[in-house]
Formats: sequence, C-alpha cells, structure tokens
Amino acid sequence: MKKIFTLGCLFSLLLLQTACRKDKPAFEGPSIQEIYSNFVMLQPFKADRDSVNFTTGEQVQFSATFNKVVEWTIHIQGQTSRGVKHISGTSKQIDASNGRWDGSVSEFPMFGNENCSVSLTIKEVSDTFRLTQKIVGIKALNGFMVADFETGIKPGWVRFAQTGANMDFQVKTDTLAPQGGKYFNMAGTVNWDWLIGLIDYPATAYGTAPTFPLSTNADAVYFNCLIYGVPNTNPTLVLFQFKEDENADGVINANTDDQYDFQVNVDWVGWKLVSVKYKDVTTLVNGVPSTPKGNGIHNPDKIGKISMLHLANPNDGFASSKIDLLMFTENGPLKP
Amino acid sequence: MQRLLYIFILLFVGKGVFAQTAKERKISYIGGARSLMSDNRLIVSDTTAVDDTTTALRNQGGYALIDLGVRIMPNSQTEIMGMFRIRNGFGGFWGSAVTFDVRQLYVKGIIAHAIRYQLGDINIKQTPFTLYNHHADAIDSLPAVFSMQQDIVRYEKFYTQNTWRMQGAHVDGGLSFKEYIRELNFDGFVTRMNATNFTSVPDRLMAGGSVECVQSKHLGIRYTLNSVFDVRGTIPDSNVFRNTVQSVDADYKTTLAKLPFSVSAEAGRSMYRYTHDTLSPTLKDYFLHAHAKLTIPRYRMQVALGYLNVGPNYRSIGAQSKDVNYEALPGYYERYTNAQSQRPLSILDVVSNDALYQRTVSNKLMAPSLVYNNAMPYGLATFNRAGLYAQWHYQKEASFSATYYRLREIVGQGTEALRGFSVLKTQAKLPFHTWLKTKKLFEMQLGMQWQGVSRKGLYAVDAVDFKSTQAQVGLRYELAKHLELLGGWMYNRTQGSDFTAERNGYSEITYFNQHQYNLKQQVSALGLRYNFTSNIYLSLFYQQQGYADANRQQADFTIRQFNILYNMLF
Repeated sequence: MKKIFTLGCLFSLLLLQTACRKDKPAFEGPSIQEIYSNFVMLQPFKADRDSVNFTTGEQVQFSATFNKVVEWTIHIQGQTSRGVKHISGTSKQIDASNGRWDGSVSEFPMFGNENCSVSLTIKEVSDTFRLTQKIVGIKALNGFMVADFETGIKPGWVRFAQTGANMDFQVKTDTLAPQGGKYFNMAGTVNWDWLIGLIDYPATAYGTAPTFPLSTNADAVYFNCLIYGVPNTNPTLVLFQFKEDENADGVINANTDDQYDFQVNVDWVGWKLVSVKYKDVTTLVNGVPSTPKGNGIHNPDKIGKISMLHLANPNDGFASSKIDLLMFTENGPLKP
Repeated sequence: MQRLLYIFILLFVGKGVFAQTAKERKISYIGGARSLMSDNRLIVSDTTAVDDTTTALRNQGGYALIDLGVRIMPNSQTEIMGMFRIRNGFGGFWGSAVTFDVRQLYVKGIIAHAIRYQLGDINIKQTPFTLYNHHADAIDSLPAVFSMQQDIVRYEKFYTQNTWRMQGAHVDGGLSFKEYIRELNFDGFVTRMNATNFTSVPDRLMAGGSVECVQSKHLGIRYTLNSVFDVRGTIPDSNVFRNTVQSVDADYKTTLAKLPFSVSAEAGRSMYRYTHDTLSPTLKDYFLHAHAKLTIPRYRMQVALGYLNVGPNYRSIGAQSKDVNYEALPGYYERYTNAQSQRPLSILDVVSNDALYQRTVSNKLMAPSLVYNNAMPYGLATFNRAGLYAQWHYQKEASFSATYYRLREIVGQGTEALRGFSVLKTQAKLPFHTWLKTKKLFEMQLGMQWQGVSRKGLYAVDAVDFKSTQAQVGLRYELAKHLELLGGWMYNRTQGSDFTAERNGYSEITYFNQHQYNLKQQVSALGLRYNFTSNIYLSLFYQQQGYADANRQQADFTIRQFNILYNMLF
C-alpha cells in the first residue's frame, strides 16, 4: 500500500507540473470570430488632411478600424492626370504603419497639382468607402535629371534619326506624358539597320564637363527612366551606353575607356519605370557580354556621355516606343 | 524482355532448389501470391435529377502477383533476404501491364553472440510518443469479410504491430547482471527519410535509440531518443530542420489486494525548428502519459485508468505520422457525376484501399479526417489534448472490451473556448459454436465507436457540436470443413459542425475551415471463403457501399462490387 501511495504522490507531482504550462497563448491561429463574423467598420475611413503639399515633404495618413483582419486596398486617382496610387494591406486597422501616402504613383502618369478621388475597397465587402484629397504641391524628384524633355531638345544633345519611313523621332506634347507635359517619341521603319535613331547626352550639355556630377560609389548610383511600350507594334529595344572618360581629358576613347551598356527589351504595354544599379550594367557588343576596354571598374563619377539608342529588327517593319524622365538617383531606385 | 525476366527467375529458383538439397537450410524461400478480380458498378444519385452520363459506371479489373523472397544464411550468424515482386494487371496488352520490382532487401545477423544488427529495410517502433504507427483511424473490431482486405493493406505496407517501414541500420543488444539490476538493454538506429536533390532538398535522416534498465521483475525504466534532422552541407542552403524528441518511461508491477497491478508512465519533450529560417517558429512542448492496470483473474477482467497530457506544441514526426493519407485519390471511380467532381473517400476505401496508406513516416503533418477520427487523429500522440481514459476488458469464451476517453484541448483553436472530446469504443466477440457445443465455427463480432466533440463558443460562430458513430457487425459460419460463410456490415453516421485547421509548412495554423456534416454510410458484404491452410484461402464476396450526404455537398452514390480473391503466404 505504501508503494501505491508513493506512486500516487509521484504521479500527482507530474500532474501538477503538466498543469503549469508556461507561455500558453490565449488561442492558436487566427480568430474564428474574426474569420466568420460579418464585416463591421469600427472607425470610419478618413485622411488626416484634405489637401497636401508633397513638395515640402508632407504626407497623407489614412486611417480606419475594422472588427476583423481583412484584405484592403486604397485606390487614389488624379482627376486630371488619371495617375493612380494603390496602397494595400491585410490587417484590422489602417494607420501610420500601413496607410501613408508620400505622393508617389503606382500607375503613370505622375500626379500633378489636382484633386484626387480616394476609395477604400475591402475583399468580400461590397461597400466602397470614399474620400477626396487635393494635391497642392507634387512630390519632389531627388536625383540628377538627364532628360525630362519639358524644354524640348537641350542645346548640346546630339540627335540622329534614320531616314526611314514614317519616322517620328521627336519631343511630343500630349496627354500620354507620364511626367510634366512632354515626352520623347521614337518611331519609324528602318528596313536596313537595327538603329532607328539615337540621342547623345554629353556631360558638356549640363555644364558639368568633362563628367556627370555623380557619386564615386557604383553600388549607390542608379539609372532610371520611364519607357512606354506601344500596344500592337513590333518588339523594340532601348539601349543606353554609359561612356566613361577615365582620364577626364574631355575625350572618350573607345579603345582605352570603359563603356557599360544597359539594354531594355520593351515587352510591355504602357509606361513602366526601369531602374538599374550602375554596378550591375555590363559591357555589351551586339547584345553579347564583353570585356570593357578601360580599367574595368564601374566609375559613375567618370561618365562623360550617355547614348540612348532605339533599336528594332529591320525585318519586322515599323517599331515604336516612348521615353521620359531619364534620371540618376543615389542609394536606391527612383520613387516617382 | 518480360520473358527473359521469367527465365531468369526460373533459373534462380532452380539454382536455389539445388543449393538447398546440397546444403540443408542455407537457402529458403518465403513470399506470397495473390490474385484479385473485381466487377464494380457505380450508381450516382445527383441533385440535378439527371443521370450521370459522363462517368463510366461499370468496370472490371484485377491483377495477379507473386512475391518471391530468397533468404540466404551463409553462416549461423547472418541472414540475407531479398524479395522480388512480379505483378500482372489483367488486360494488359502482351504483358504491358507486367511490373517487376524489388519489394524488400535486408541483411541481418548477430555480432559476437551479443549485438543484433539489421541493414536495409527495417521495421521500427519506439514508444507511442517518439516513433509509433498508431493506426489511429483503424476499426478495432473489423468483420472478417473486411479484414481480408485490411490484411492486404497491412501486408502491402509492411505494417507489423505498430512499426513503420524505413531504410537504414538498426542494432540492439543487452547485458545481464547478477546484482542490483537484472538487464541493461539498448538499441539504436539511423534511417534515411529522403534523399537530397543537391539544390533545395537536403538529405533528411531519422536517428534514435533507447537504453532500458530492467531493475527487477517489478520495475523497468527506459530512456528514448528520436531525432529527425537535415544533414548540413547536402545543399548550399545552411538552413536545416530538426525535430528532437526525448522521453523517459517506467513500468512498475506489483500487487494490490493480492491482485496483479501495474503502473506505467511516460514523460518527454520535443523541439521542432529550422536553424536559420527567421519565419520559422521554434516549437517546444512536453507530454505526460500515465496508466494503471488492475487484473482480476477471478472475474477474467482487467480494468485500467489513464491520464494523458500532450502539449499543443508537442511535435514528433515519428509518432504523429498518419497511416491514412486523406488527400490521396480513391484509385477507382475517382470522379463522378456529370460535373466530374472528386468522389469523397468512403469507409470502404479507408478499410480496403492500400493506395491511401503510407508505408513510412511523413515529413509534414498529415491532415486528419473529421469523419473517421476527429478526437484523436494522431492516436495517443495527438497534440493539444489532456484528460482521462478508462478501459475494461473481459475474456472468457466470449470477449468484451470498452474504452472511454474524456479529453479537452489545452489551448483553444481560433478562440479561447476549449473543445471537449468524448470517445467510447466497445467491441465484443461472441463464440456461438462454444455455447451451442458444435465443432463448426460460428462466431459473431460486434463493434462500436462513438465520438463527440463540443465547444460552447464565446461567440455563436465558434461553437462546435459534432458527433460521429461507427458500428460494425461480423459473422463467420463454417458451412463445411474449411469452407466459411462470411458476412459483415459497417455503418458510419457523421453529424454536426466543426472546424479544420489549415497549417503552413511549419505546422502553424493559418486559417480555419468550417464543415457541416449530415452523412450516412453503410457497407454490407457477404461471401464464401475456402481455407486451404491457415495461410492460403480463396474467397468470393459481394459488397455494397452507400454514401448519402443529406447536406448535398457531395452527390450520393452506391458502389456494388463482386470480388474473387486468392491469397497465400509461404
């Protein structure tokens, strides 16, 4: 009987130990009550201001609180520009951590000083919650602007266009402009050569000769541009050639200076931001990687000239694309 | 090519026979043979009141197979076994349905008359919380007409007792002592769970062992270790998985009021983690299982009382792998109705279809089925359960047994309210031939399992009320010498609502799906079996299964089957 008593005591001790499970959560997994209850907006969807000046660094903070975790999307559309910004998340509330707008755009064109329609949609909820917002100052673009074509072709740029059929290699002013009011159109039929046209942007055109005023750190410098893929046309390529003047003598020697290339295959429709870190561009010869002719080191501070070439297969016929907002940024891609 | 294989086998067998006559018992043959022919008919009761004209409602099929194993004993300490399988699906064109496989291969022996070893295919189990095939959803009292089919599943998947089939190495041995302790036994194993693909899937091994100290005929204590781990360096990624389980169990036998009385208990802990994955949680938890049993010989009875507490984060790949894979397709009539929706797994599929069963442990936590086992889907090792159970067993000419579990969640799932689980299992075997004093076997089996799951929700939406009843009746009657009449009936009724947890790759819950059931299944079978010997029989049996879903989530169906089964083991 003593043995049974001892065993009973031991067992009770073990039982006591298991009963005291530490760090026990309230429950496992998501709340069933949240998953299966009907959606309720606990605090209404609102913005912390009616008008915003993004130029001075102001931001719009949206807020709302729900009774459960939902997938939500805030859709902001410029009433004049038709530019669109999406902010989305999965949470029980929209607050400063997930609902701030800094004036950036998701779908081009970029916003102007205009009124915007703001709507909040929630997955599996039929209601849409609406606001308006007025932009009184657009978001500043930080970086070195190579070209935005707002003042046409700058003195010092060298433009060349083949004498093909239906050539349209010029600055355009129409509602397609993704930023400002103008962009550069590149179109035509050249059935004897890949090159349709090109523009050279020498550093001398910016008063910074012999090189562009960029950082020495190739890991920090990004090249950005907006390219428009025209629907229902033949494939096109846009090739950027970054020509370094390594000895800063004002002369770019193809046999002794580095040239790095960034080739973009325009296989989309509409405007798209294309960004590349300068350290990641390589030397190309007819599209094939090759060895640079200079010191083989990416020196963004020694770029003396940028050439922008519009290319298409001569057998394809008419080819077209558009370009805008060629910019260098530091420490990250452009966030328009 | 197939003919060449047959010639090769014949030559091989012939050579073995000659060798056997030359050196007695150096080479022996083991194996089995089986042939099954079936005629199946599907009847669909769709809600659209339009006949199912898309599904082929009638089909026939079958196969014949032979497993030929050669056991070679080059010396008294070594045994080598290789088993081949030749399988021929009926109706294959010029032998196109013939397959030739290696079914099992191992070497085993004894080193220095002290340590046993086995290399190759091995069947392993440890304790119910470390490495154990619980067969958690198996029906305890299965009528003989259905158990013929279940036995095929067990043979196909190498289920012996509660082992898992694995590939690797296993050693065991022991020492005897004159004083203080009687025996010190140990065993160890290492098996390969999956092979690396050299890019993203690392080599995964399971290793484990135990040390058992038998102090006397009254007391034994054992330490068990089981570890599943990825081998670092087999892929470029240094993030590796590890699941380690350790337990200590003790068994104490004594007398209580001059009646045999035993107490056994096991306690242990687990750790489950990825080394470098920041998204991965580290799951740590423990379990306790204690069990006391009293035998009353005068009344031919045993009664037992147990306590179970398995933590919500207790993870053991070896003990929480299920034998039934409910995500597998049924293998025949996989799609039905004009919409060609997937046919749900029926109770007969679960009992008889070896394609649903796993041969070895699973790397991921397998999904349970609410219909077939909602309360304890991973057997005793089901995590997040605590409570008591009681067992009663009586055996004289007839045998009766009953087990009742009353368990509760430790942590709520999706709500702070806890689910409660009740499980009642009863079974009986009634030997009418003994009572009627006839030599002809006349026996009846009865079995029932009831499960109730409930939760008084904190909110209306999280309430759970779920009930499942399973019953079976079996009959064996010896018509003539070696010839038996077999009959059987199985019933499953599932009603109510509950939630199933969707889990991510780390076994964390990400979502809850609510299910409503109003399901009735019945299977009835009648057949004849001629027993040539205890290991060889020929059986003809007809079975009909019905699946009726009152909620109309799945179309009702009936399947009628006529089967001819020949089975032998040698």
